[in-house]
Amino acid sequence: MDDDRVFKALADPTRRLLLDRLFERDGRTLTDLEGGTGMTRFGVMKHLRILEEAGLVVTRRSGREKLHFLNPVPIRLIHDRWIDKYTEGPASLLASLKNALEEKE
Amino acid sequence: MTATTDLATQVYQVFIKATPEEIWQAITTPDVTARYFHGARIEVSPERYISHGPDGATWADGPVFEYDPPRRLVHQWRSLYDADLAKEQPSRVSWEIEPHEGGYCKLTVTHDRLDSAPKTAASVSGPGWMFVLSGLKTLVETGTPLDGAGLPATAAS
Repeated sequence: MDDDRVFKALADPTRRLLLDRLFERDGRTLTDLEGGTGMTRFGVMKHLRILEEAGLVVTRRSGREKLHFLNPVPIRLIHDRWIDKYTEGPASLLASLKNALEEKE
Repeated sequence: MTATTDLATQVYQVFIKATPEEIWQAITTPDVTARYFHGARIEVSPERYISHGPDGATWADGPVFEYDPPRRLVHQWRSLYDADLAKEQPSRVSWEIEPHEGGYCKLTVTHDRLDSAPKTAASVSGPGWMFVLSGLKTLVETGTPLDGAGLPATAAS
C-alpha cells in the first residue's frame, strides 16, 4: 500500500543520510539527528515527517524525549516485491563483480 | 541522557490488510506461528508465552506482562533456542495492533530491555524480526507462507 511513499521518501539524499544515521545508532532525538546535517531544525523535522509517513521511521516517547527509530520492514517488503526477482542470475553476478573490483581500491 | 542506544530498543512496524482479530490469532495460534516464525509453535495465555521448535525443544517459556486481545500483547523474551543467547538476561517484546483505514492494521513490534542482552539484540535485529514480520504479513494476507518462513533460522537464512 505504501510503495509510492517509500520510494519518494528514499528519493532524497538528506533522508537517506538520516536513515543511515539511524542505522548506525537507533533511537535518536531530533537534536542528535540534526547535528552535522548542515540543515535547520525545521528542515530536518520536515524530512523526518516524510520518513515517518512512509513508515521508515517510528517515533517513541521516552520521558520528555521523542526518539526516532529506523523501521526497516518497508524496505524489506520493497526488496521482496521489486528487487529479488530482478536480481537473480546475471544481474547478481555483475553486482558481485562490481563489488569485488571496487573493494580492491 | 538517552538511555536507549544501539540495539537496546528495536521497533518494527508493518501494515497488514486484515482485521485486528485475524492478526491476533496469527500471533497466538501455534499452528499459524509455525508457518512464519521459523517453525516455532507459539502458545500464548494471559500468563505465559511458550514456544516450541519443530523438534519439540523449548525455544521460549516466559511470563506474559500484558494480554489485551486483539490489541496488545507484551511478553518476556529469552532466546532458549541458542545456548549462548539463553545465558543472557531476559528482554521484552510488545505487539501492538491498531486498525487503520482501508481494512489495514498497523502492527508494531517493539523489542526492548535488550541492554543486558547484546548478543540477543544483534541476532534479532534487522533481518531477524523483518523476516518474521514480512512472513506474518504474507501469510495473513494471502494464506500462503513466504518461502522458508516455516524453517528454523539456520536453514532459512
